[in-house]
Amino acid sequence: MKFTLDWMNEFIDLPTNDPEEIAEALESLGHEVEGWERIEHRFEGVVIGKVLEVGPHPNADKVRVTKVDVGDEVLDIICGAWNFEAGAVVPVAKPGAVLQGDFTITQRKIRGITSNGMICSESELEIGEDEAGIMVLDSDYPSAAEALGRDFTDLLPDNDVVFDVTITPNRPDCMSVYGLARELAAFYQIQLANPDLELPGGDAETSVTIVDDVACPRFVGREVTGITVGPSPHRIRARLTAAGVRPISNVVDASNYAMMEFGHPTHAFDTDRLGNFVVIRHADDGEPMTTLDDVERQLQGSDIIVADAERPVAIAGVMGGADTEVNDGTTGVFIEAAYWNPPGVLLTSKRLGLRSEASARFERGVDPGFCRLAADRVAQILVETAGGSVAGVVDEYPAPPTPRVIELHMSEIERVLGIRLASAEAGALLLRLGFDVTGDDSLVVTVPTRRPDVFRPADLIEEIARLYGFDNIPGRLRFGSGMGLPESESRLRTLRSVMAGAGYHEIFSFSFIGAADLDALQLPADDSARIGITVVNPLRDEEGVMRTTLLPGLLKAASSNLAKRVDDVRLFEVGKVFLPGEDELPDQPDRLGFIAAGGGAPRWDGTDPGYDVYDATGVWGLLASAMAVEGSELRATERAPFHPGRAAEVIVGGRAIGVVGEIHPAVAAAHGIDGRVIAGEIDADVLVAAREPWRFEVPSSYPPQVFDLAFELDSSVAASTLLAAIDAAGEGLVEKRTIFDVYEGDPIPKGRKSIAINLTVRAPDRTLSDEDVAPIRKAIVKAVEAATGGMLRGSV
Amino acid sequence: MDPTANLSEPMETREILEQLRTEAPARIEQAGTVEELSDLAVEITGKQSPIAVGRRSLGSAPPDQRRDLGRAINDVAVELNALIETRRAALEAVEASQALEADRVDVTLPGRVPERGTTHLIQQVMDEIVDIFVAMGYTAATGPEVETEFYNFTALNFPIAHPTRLESDTLYLDYGDVPENILLRTHTSPMQARYMEQHEPPVYLVVPGRVFRRDPLDPTHSPVFHQIEGLAVDTDITFGDLKGVLDHFAREFLGPYIETKFIPHHFPFTEPSAEMHVYANGRWMELLGCGMVNPAVFEAVGYNPEEVTGFAFGMGADRLAMVRHGITDLRHLFDPDRRILEQYR
Repeated sequence: MKFTLDWMNEFIDLPTNDPEEIAEALESLGHEVEGWERIEHRFEGVVIGKVLEVGPHPNADKVRVTKVDVGDEVLDIICGAWNFEAGAVVPVAKPGAVLQGDFTITQRKIRGITSNGMICSESELEIGEDEAGIMVLDSDYPSAAEALGRDFTDLLPDNDVVFDVTITPNRPDCMSVYGLARELAAFYQIQLANPDLELPGGDAETSVTIVDDVACPRFVGREVTGITVGPSPHRIRARLTAAGVRPISNVVDASNYAMMEFGHPTHAFDTDRLGNFVVIRHADDGEPMTTLDDVERQLQGSDIIVADAERPVAIAGVMGGADTEVNDGTTGVFIEAAYWNPPGVLLTSKRLGLRSEASARFERGVDPGFCRLAADRVAQILVETAGGSVAGVVDEYPAPPTPRVIELHMSEIERVLGIRLASAEAGALLLRLGFDVTGDDSLVVTVPTRRPDVFRPADLIEEIARLYGFDNIPGRLRFGSGMGLPESESRLRTLRSVMAGAGYHEIFSFSFIGAADLDALQLPADDSARIGITVVNPLRDEEGVMRTTLLPGLLKAASSNLAKRVDDVRLFEVGKVFLPGEDELPDQPDRLGFIAAGGGAPRWDGTDPGYDVYDATGVWGLLASAMAVEGSELRATERAPFHPGRAAEVIVGGRAIGVVGEIHPAVAAAHGIDGRVIAGEIDADVLVAAREPWRFEVPSSYPPQVFDLAFELDSSVAASTLLAAIDAAGEGLVEKRTIFDVYEGDPIPKGRKSIAINLTVRAPDRTLSDEDVAPIRKAIVKAVEAATGGMLRGSV
Repeated sequence: MDPTANLSEPMETREILEQLRTEAPARIEQAGTVEELSDLAVEITGKQSPIAVGRRSLGSAPPDQRRDLGRAINDVAVELNALIETRRAALEAVEASQALEADRVDVTLPGRVPERGTTHLIQQVMDEIVDIFVAMGYTAATGPEVETEFYNFTALNFPIAHPTRLESDTLYLDYGDVPENILLRTHTSPMQARYMEQHEPPVYLVVPGRVFRRDPLDPTHSPVFHQIEGLAVDTDITFGDLKGVLDHFAREFLGPYIETKFIPHHFPFTEPSAEMHVYANGRWMELLGCGMVNPAVFEAVGYNPEEVTGFAFGMGADRLAMVRHGITDLRHLFDPDRRILEQYR
């Protein structure tokens, strides 16, 4: 909310005009000051003058020659504006005056006649927008006529400052100049002006009937007659503009001005087109109405409307109707200032997608006590600015709210704030904020109707604390009894550092993807990763679906690096994917994803800079060992978006928990990546699952037997089958087995291959002799041959 | 020297030994390689050498001369062996150093570096903040990122008309039968309610995690960002405790001389509510939001507000990372450019 200091000072007499000090006061009250700005005038030497004569220019049709009294002299000035006649009081830039910072006014001849200065418009002075030509001060600043020759800025607020304050949503009462003045008055303990404004007036010609007094506890209508619609005077427009409200016309401006001033929205109907009988009722289902924005809307029974005998004329608290809208020819208005039940306004404005400044205020709750003041303030402004006369008033108040009364014990203040206050002290603080307070030991506090946010003792304690000053409450460092970092959290940290240790950089990508990202993975139509949960109101289509896999983010990240010629990119991400499930919430498991691509230029020592499937399976091997995942195996898989012959499922405890391998070349190409790309995606929950405390084992101190075996097998036999057979047959004595050669080609027959393994066999309790090892070796060979259908080629 | 010379005569033997003793040292000294020296050693002390031959012939020498002759042979052998071994050591040292010299490489060629990756800066900041509170006796937990309207808003005392509930602010998901029920959590605060529902007081908890708002990505906003939530509930927690704990946190995180101030604010789930500001880089700036847990929240989770009080706080990890590391554009934090990630050491 924006307002000027000058406006604020109409209600209080601030003890300081230092904006920084005022900003600090507001902030300490809980009203965040986004900023403040001094209103600087970028002109000087402009005085108040009165046009004595206006005559034609002998040599020019478009300008006139004037004689202007500027107090100590009368100047001949040529003027191109036509919106004034003799008698007008105007701002005059005399020769030597400077406008717009650096434009100096001089005497100059225009078609043979000397012009001694310039009569100024608002835009030339940069204090407003031109309506019709030069600025005529008569009606804007009536005192100007008495001040000929005085500096024009004397008419404008002195040293004015615009404040921009963010009002928290719980404080609708502070969404106005007066509301904030009340806060500052409490802070500085100064007098707040009473805006007592009961304008006279008999009964209105229009009667008001409230059908639902829950929806509408109060409705005030004030009639103003004899108005002329036109622009508002400059001082009104200047304040509205500073407050960020665009001036429209005196009728609209009056409503906005009163709203900025007292916080209460009003609406003006054209009396000529509003029937004499107004009813506040529920709409009929399907009842049509055209709103101010010229949209025809279908109403529902839950909508509250203002109607006359024939039709709806406004949607309560949301928007007026086009039929009764004020226009240039309007001469009389019926000003509505009502209190609408907040949930009803919210429901209707949401349903219709119609949100206005008024609806936002009604939704948060305005002060029903301010209805009459608001309507009368609009009327008063119209009398001043539109030549109107105050006529009748109607004030239907069938359901005045019962004031809320809260009992507050001093012990409760101490329990929450940790400070001990005397009840007199606490009571005084609440009194300053306008609460009614009685009682001694515990206070009985009556909450003003403008404070919909105060329900409980805690709310009163907040009021006391903010006026007492948070800074005055001493801090105390106290430790808790929490159980520290849970194991799953610390294991997640280990997981991240293992990946970082392997040269992978962690990325944070967004949790949503676009449908096109799943297409780019070339997933089959029935792939479960295609069933993503959609975002109802995404900002962009590319963010329309919750991710079902981390791979799109990783692929895009790798691709964007390579596109920038940043090669050898190894990335990982730990994050949630979102999958439809059985419960109220979707399944949201944590996954680990990684990718590596573009190894870069060949190295000087001949080592391969690129990545292939064994780097991917190697990452799994590292994870399994670092995270102590027991009994995992890899199984060849054909699964998009992976290469059908170069990817493996990770199996733990019989369950597939992820895939590692090379990305399908077509998918890599679709992401603009040449060459092999490896990736993997694994359920992180399995990796970080809590471990049982492990048992220590004393390593054997006896020497091992080391020997090699080579088998000839069918090419399709997986190495894992062979190793599993060795482990099973090794009687627990095989300490290590390392595949050191895989060979296809002569002399091995086509379709067959040779795998050579180096074995270390060691017993925990004795030195194994050749005689001990022979049967083990035999058992291993037998087991491998049985499991693989292969045969022993040789041994060393 | 003629190895076949007749050494049976002691006098003759002595002469030959004397000759050996005179000539051999120079030859040993001249041996250029260990191999040459080894050959020479065989010649001088080997089975066919005059020394060996002389020893074998001792038996045939006259008994009264045997002792002297034997001693003489031994003296020569010891003397020459010592010379050989000295020379061998010298030659071996030279050869070893030659071998090392031949092995010399350019050590400034790039080494085989096991490259180290990084954890993300936001993660580091979240971990660090969690650790500060863990050291103060808190535990950590994480919660679902897709939440229900109930936990995100209602249980936290958000009025039905609160602007954050609007579709302009909050991302809703098309899931389940009830519209506007399932959403992307707008803060980590839902875990306050979830945790309290599942645990009896006292509670000392921090919750790091990812949150969402319907804000387009720009230098200061992102639809995805990260928070750390905190909650302390016990029989006697006061606003003074809130100030003490959070002030301590600020000094641990930003430096021991950092100044803090608390100014009133509003959050539906705390009452009173505050913002903690810190004086950093020459100006006051907001670091986090906090407040005393609203009794309405205790009631929503089944705690008795007459028996417990508590405080809660929440802060943005992304913003804290930016403040501390001089990052002026939030978008950099979501950029996977390796040259950025490498800075997160």
